[in-house]
Amino acid sequence: MLNYIWAGLIVTSFVFALGFDARDIAGDRYRNGQPLPVTLTFPEGYDPAARRVPVEIRIEPGQYASLYRTEERPAPSYAGYLLQTQEGAQLRFAADAKLPEPLATIGKVSRSRDEELQGRLVGFTPPGATAGVVFEPVRFVKLNAIASAALDFAKTAAELAFGLIGVLALFLGMLKIAEDSGIVYALVKLVRPILRPLFPEVPADHPALGMIALNLTATVFGLGNAATPFGIKAMEELQKLNPSEDTATNSMVMLLAINTASLQLVPPVLLLALMGTGINTLIFPILTTTVLGLIVAIVATRVLGRLPGYRASDPNRRAPPPAAAEA
Amino acid sequence: MDTARNVISTLSFFVVPLILVGFPLYGLYKRVPVYESFVEGAKEGFQVAVRIIPYLVAILFAIAMFRASGAMEALTRALDPVLGLIGFPAELLPMAIIRSLSGSGSAALVVDMINQYGEDSILVKMAAVMYGSSETTFYVIAVYFGAVGIRKTRHAVPAGLLADAAAMIIAVWTVRLLLG
Repeated sequence: MLNYIWAGLIVTSFVFALGFDARDIAGDRYRNGQPLPVTLTFPEGYDPAARRVPVEIRIEPGQYASLYRTEERPAPSYAGYLLQTQEGAQLRFAADAKLPEPLATIGKVSRSRDEELQGRLVGFTPPGATAGVVFEPVRFVKLNAIASAALDFAKTAAELAFGLIGVLALFLGMLKIAEDSGIVYALVKLVRPILRPLFPEVPADHPALGMIALNLTATVFGLGNAATPFGIKAMEELQKLNPSEDTATNSMVMLLAINTASLQLVPPVLLLALMGTGINTLIFPILTTTVLGLIVAIVATRVLGRLPGYRASDPNRRAPPPAAAEA
Repeated sequence: MDTARNVISTLSFFVVPLILVGFPLYGLYKRVPVYESFVEGAKEGFQVAVRIIPYLVAILFAIAMFRASGAMEALTRALDPVLGLIGFPAELLPMAIIRSLSGSGSAALVVDMINQYGEDSILVKMAAVMYGSSETTFYVIAVYFGAVGIRKTRHAVPAGLLADAAAMIIAVWTVRLLLG
């Protein structure tokens, strides 16, 4: 199931990216190769011999709108500079310029070199006035974006995991103390009476109940590593009471439902590590949700167990347990 | 409601300190070598962190791609009217779906949402409560039933998923009520 969801995410991303890019290409959204008219002024004067000349760039909103067919409006002027080489003049916008779409996207894509939106200057007759600027052709923006997102986040994932080591160690250490000092055993006595009505098929003195109590108390304390072995032992005890070999009894389903709803007072260590002290405010919402979720789980198990189909498949009903058969 | 909120926010300052003080104190009372126990447990921190890396990579990069492609936006927009009826933010939909399937995956989603919206955003709090208040249903079923060879699980899956769905919706509402 997770396999399909995961692969689905990746494939859907690809399909969507391809779709958006095809739309952009069909509509020539970035007007590849067409010059954007700009007006240049040189606050420090124009020097034809200088390699780098500061420049103030003005884009007329009407011309911008008609070229890119967009509602977005450029700022009154942009700072930038002119780069003059033997191949011609290149116009560069300052790296922090707040550009309107689709210039912003064009800038982002060509930003792989330096942090600036840059384009070739055409029809430029020094010193100044109007000219056109032709940007690097922009294609497959979204495909590019999904690829770099994948690479970026793969890196982020590993960095994050390493950042968690300290806090994880802190709380795992604390939980180990709790485990060794037997907090779990101290609380089993409290839990046992609550369990009786939930597992009516289990005889009162049966070891299964003890194991279930251990399992639940360990869960309550967020001792996931300790809770699982207890849970498995509890299952094995319940299996001894099961007349069938491969069909779950009502008690087994109840144990599972309680475990999946996972009543926990101490949140998972991983969440502690992620949220830091922010966890403080989350404790009570988590408690409320987990208690209500547990109630839903118990009620759902009981109600579903009464449905004719599940009732018929109950191993205790199909073949009455040996004790009942004797009586 | 306001008094309840005040009481809760006051009490919540004690949660982490109580764990940090209470566990070693109880350990001392029970004559446990607390320092050694702590170190023993803390050793696992590195392993846990390393163990989650593959899951983090798998989920983070797939979700990042999904978002970068514009598909997330389309999905959110398409489902907004439906989810709006029960007051469920569409941004939490991936979390609600993956929570029952993969524990590490949903932890990775919490990480992703912290990156995306910042630690203090209500969406992150909702996602964290979703993560913290429920257990991975399919994992539990696989481990517990697998251990005793039960193949016919009867109503275990529907009951577990029903409880999960309820918990996801309850999580959104309690966060909104208590922290909103």
